[in-house]
Amino acid sequence: MRILVSTFGGDDYAKVLSAMKSLPYEKLVLVGEASAEDTEGFHKLSHLEEMSGHDLHFEPVDTSGFMETVDEICDVLVQCSKDPEPGSSNLIALNISGGSKLLGDAALFSAFRLGIEAYHCDERVTKLPVLKGATAVDRFTMSQVKFIMSIKEDGMLFDELLQTLLPAGRQATERVLRILRKERLLETELRSGKIHVALSAEGREVARTIGAARTDRAAAADR
Amino acid sequence: MAVVFGTLGYRPKSLIPTIRSTPKVDKVVFYCGADPKERDARKNVAEAKAAVLEYCKSMNISAIGIELEDPFDFKSIALRIRRDVRKHKKEGKEIAVFNIAGGTRPTSSAALLVCILEGIPTVYVHDVTYEEIHLPLLRMEYNQVLSGEERDMLRILFKNRAKMLTEVELAALVGKHKATVNHHLRNLVSKGAVRLEKHPGDARKKIVRLEESTELLLGDDE
Repeated sequence: MRILVSTFGGDDYAKVLSAMKSLPYEKLVLVGEASAEDTEGFHKLSHLEEMSGHDLHFEPVDTSGFMETVDEICDVLVQCSKDPEPGSSNLIALNISGGSKLLGDAALFSAFRLGIEAYHCDERVTKLPVLKGATAVDRFTMSQVKFIMSIKEDGMLFDELLQTLLPAGRQATERVLRILRKERLLETELRSGKIHVALSAEGREVARTIGAARTDRAAAADR
Repeated sequence: MAVVFGTLGYRPKSLIPTIRSTPKVDKVVFYCGADPKERDARKNVAEAKAAVLEYCKSMNISAIGIELEDPFDFKSIALRIRRDVRKHKKEGKEIAVFNIAGGTRPTSSAALLVCILEGIPTVYVHDVTYEEIHLPLLRMEYNQVLSGEERDMLRILFKNRAKMLTEVELAALVGKHKATVNHHLRNLVSKGAVRLEKHPGDARKKIVRLEESTELLLGDDE
């Protein structure tokens, strides 16, 4: 099934309409603040969907923080990509032009995190350069991914991490540490003479991306 | 020395805190543009621009305020910003941060897109508190997502985008066997970077077309 997911703020009926006219879909899902559901624009879109024999789906998201909004939109996109039919998955197109600046930017960020086809639909329709299925995770090797995902939320001692990553040897793990630190994904410091390793803000974003990609792939495997 | 990039709407306070909090700034480049449908927009944007320029002058920082022809044309804005960013990078300038808090929604989103493609640290400024919110760097390394052959094919298609290249003609330009090119093309189609269209004069042939988005992906100086 082809699903059109669009950001929506209540006053941007025309932007969603532009996406509906430009991108073929079988199901329409709007993402926005809860208050957007009780607007004239929403009721107009809902009526249009009813006329075509479909329901309009609305997913409320909290837009008080940027990364929290990104996480919520990613959850919606992962849910939408699941298809109850075995052996098939839904095709998602995401329009980011509706709603507040923060909502649209968070949706753009989510599209890159998950490798979802994305558009900016207004008077002009612009396809965004997200390569389908390609995410920020693709630039990491398996051992780097394992390293990143093994680090606890508050960080941990490198010796402890070495044990977690066995059978990988100390030399190999130190090499991964150097590479990831150079990419500013890790922060290290000496604590009582021992190396303490933690993910930086960028590292935590990569971990979230890996987590989202795993959820997506696990959903695909289930099918 | 560092360069701060930014987008600006009506509120200079959405950009100035970033200039203030960034060490060793010697240049500020910001983008603004007025919504022609909104009353007083031109005046408000001009005032905000003047305030930022005045602040930079007082701090002895060079500043350029670029007025966008159409602050709602997402693609043109993204291409313009990317070209400027790359120009500064080529000149060896360090782009310390890009503040995407101000300006129209398409301007802000286009700036974020450039930050993701170019790996530039990005910051928002809170609407009420003017507190800076640093976004985690989400850099797309397409060099590691696409193979060398795929990147070569995209560049050749971009250079020849006015022509109707068939698979065979593309193979000749890339200098690879048709079967090899066909394999890479299938990958590029599945990633949404190119599409195949029927040849108007010969139903057996397919024309290879770049998706419009690939232009944004490559930038216009490739």
